[in-house]
Amino acid sequence: FLGAGGGNDIQWCFSQVKGAVDDDVAEADIISTVEFNHSGELLATGDKGGRVVIFQQEQENKTQSHSRGEYNVYSTFQSHEPEFDYLKSLEIEEKINKIRWLPQKNAAQFLLSTNDKTIKLWKISERDKRPEGYNLKEEDGRYRDPTTVTTLRVPVFRPMDLMVEASPRRIFANAHTYHINSISINSDYETYLSADDLRINLWHLEITDRSFNIVDIKPANMEELTEVITAAEFHPNSCSTFVYSSSKGTIRLCDMRASALCDRHSKLFEEPEDPSNRSFFSEIISSISDVKFSHSGRYMMTRDYLSVKIWDLNMENRPVETYQVHEYLRSKLCSLYENDCIFDKFECCWNGSDRQVEFSLIVMTGSYNNFFRMFDRNTKRDITLEASRENNKPRTVLKPRKVCASGKRKKDEISVDSLDFNKKILHTAWHPKENIIAVATTNNLYIFQDKMN
Amino acid sequence: MLGKGGKRKFDEHEDGLEGKVVSPTDGPSKVSYTLQRQTIFNISLMKLYNHRPLTEPSLQKTVLINNMLRRIQEELKQEGSLRPMFVAASQPADPLSDNFREAQPAFSHLASPPLLPADFVSTMPLESCLTPASLLEDDTFCTSPAVQHDGPTKPPPPALQPVKDSFSSALDEIEELCPAPTSAEAVAAESAADDSKAQPGESNIHKPEGLPESRTAESKLMDPLPGNFEITASTGFLTDLTLDDILFADIDTSMYDFDPCTSATGAASKMAPVSADELLKTLAPYSSQPVTPNQPFKMDLTELDHIMEVLVGS
Repeated sequence: FLGAGGGNDIQWCFSQVKGAVDDDVAEADIISTVEFNHSGELLATGDKGGRVVIFQQEQENKTQSHSRGEYNVYSTFQSHEPEFDYLKSLEIEEKINKIRWLPQKNAAQFLLSTNDKTIKLWKISERDKRPEGYNLKEEDGRYRDPTTVTTLRVPVFRPMDLMVEASPRRIFANAHTYHINSISINSDYETYLSADDLRINLWHLEITDRSFNIVDIKPANMEELTEVITAAEFHPNSCSTFVYSSSKGTIRLCDMRASALCDRHSKLFEEPEDPSNRSFFSEIISSISDVKFSHSGRYMMTRDYLSVKIWDLNMENRPVETYQVHEYLRSKLCSLYENDCIFDKFECCWNGSDRQVEFSLIVMTGSYNNFFRMFDRNTKRDITLEASRENNKPRTVLKPRKVCASGKRKKDEISVDSLDFNKKILHTAWHPKENIIAVATTNNLYIFQDKMN
Repeated sequence: MLGKGGKRKFDEHEDGLEGKVVSPTDGPSKVSYTLQRQTIFNISLMKLYNHRPLTEPSLQKTVLINNMLRRIQEELKQEGSLRPMFVAASQPADPLSDNFREAQPAFSHLASPPLLPADFVSTMPLESCLTPASLLEDDTFCTSPAVQHDGPTKPPPPALQPVKDSFSSALDEIEELCPAPTSAEAVAAESAADDSKAQPGESNIHKPEGLPESRTAESKLMDPLPGNFEITASTGFLTDLTLDDILFADIDTSMYDFDPCTSATGAASKMAPVSADELLKTLAPYSSQPVTPNQPFKMDLTELDHIMEVLVGS
């Protein structure tokens, strides 16, 4: 397990990078979500073009003990297509907003992928054998003349080149008027929730023609709308508990046993505004872009524009820890508002843990200029790293980066005004068990590992 | 960086117009605060109305920008400011912007947020959005194929309105979306509506320096923000509008009347082609110069056309 506060900080090294090399980014290639499966063997990405690409980790080579298996393409399929809503005269984007894996129950793998309106359950299965030796058919499929059949034999399975097939098993549609921002699978592994701007629905994985609305914050008069749902997640252990975050920086915890429609929260997490930091943009930067429970479920982490906050579920009035991701942007909020960057939705993730005990100790989140940040809750140290092809010597430890907020810029520091705001890292994922991370830049996927010795 | 009006020192006031906000009551910094507020107000308006995506704009973004505008409006109300906010003249390559600048004084009182045409056109009864496929089967007029989906779906349990005929639903939408303003604003709206038959709903106007405005003009700007939450077809009011588009489009100017009473009939009435000249004539009394009809029309006309076709089954 990773250095759990033992004084050994993880040393991250470049491992791989996937995606086009050229600077000219095709819109469809923009990565929109990244997710490891429960074992970490598979890594899925979704993109703006509606495609899902799954990478598989090579089985560890016992002789090559200094590096973990590489991730190679396992399956690629078109999950969603663009659609047209005729009544509104608008396109429905095929961009994959979220992917969530189901725990593996048999040989096949299952994942949920969603765009703005429709969720799909995909089955990814391998085929490496095929039956040969039919009595009535030739090998090429043509039927044999029955009169030529003089003996009977039992068809046998013979090996063939591995084929990975993805097929849509369920399509959950027509339940969301607004744009789906989250899906979360319940710990019962039978149900899941999907959340859009104003509503959260509960589905059963087997049933596609019915979903139950469990949260509805749509006001009777839309002119009164001032707050939307930004993210939602089920509790990792309690199958009747979930949280959802809002654009006003609040998180509500709901218990589905309390009532059918969970419009009244059981808990409301909100930090009072810091009056010394008030600005026109206070509300916008307080909007929560991601919420993630810790492995034990005792804590949850939220990401707003400038910070990551850790909340103890037992304390509603303020977070237990706050980490500044890029405080130097606070003085640039007006420009960031003008160029829309202030609306960027950064995600956050916990380190992996092979136990359900509370080992959620490191949080990771992205920033601009292809920088990403990690905060160690134990040591209170943080580090800024860069996902760039310039650093792509495997096994070379990544050099920490530093942004110079004001004043004299030291060597190797980058000044705030030189940051490239088009290079944003919104999606990151941490292997569930090992120190392997996947970091998505606009159209490339970087994989980093810790330096094993 | 935008809107740097006040002098600023490097270190202490580096934030200048950004970052920390000076209390509006501070003497010399009040100017920079006001300037900052005005800049942000302008930017917010531009964001809401300049945007014409092919897909639905993000509701979260719209809500946040709206909240920003509302807060600023509230502040202005409380300050009792008589200076309405106008968009800075930063619209590039706008063939009509000059006209708008010149016609500005008259247009200021028409500056209420453009609401209806785009709104009404692009909305549909919300409950029925949840089951577009199965509802569509029942609608007599509907020509669009079942959108997207495999298999029929049942509406989810939440409170459902009785399924209405889509035509009357659309009418309800129009009425619903007429500004439901407070009484003070209603008065202003009424007076503005009476004044102008053709409501350009222009929000991007250029302000001549130091022009005093009437209270009515002020309250026009205080009108409830469009919300635009139902807007799916975006309100791209400054998109490329050419005179040709006006000339060759069927226009029913009653659609642009803000008077809630007439909107229903407006929707029901057959659209009569109106030439651009007639439009110009209706606008002429309000400006000293001939002015080209506002750009909102372009977006709205196309949308309007489309929905009218659907409604009357032509």
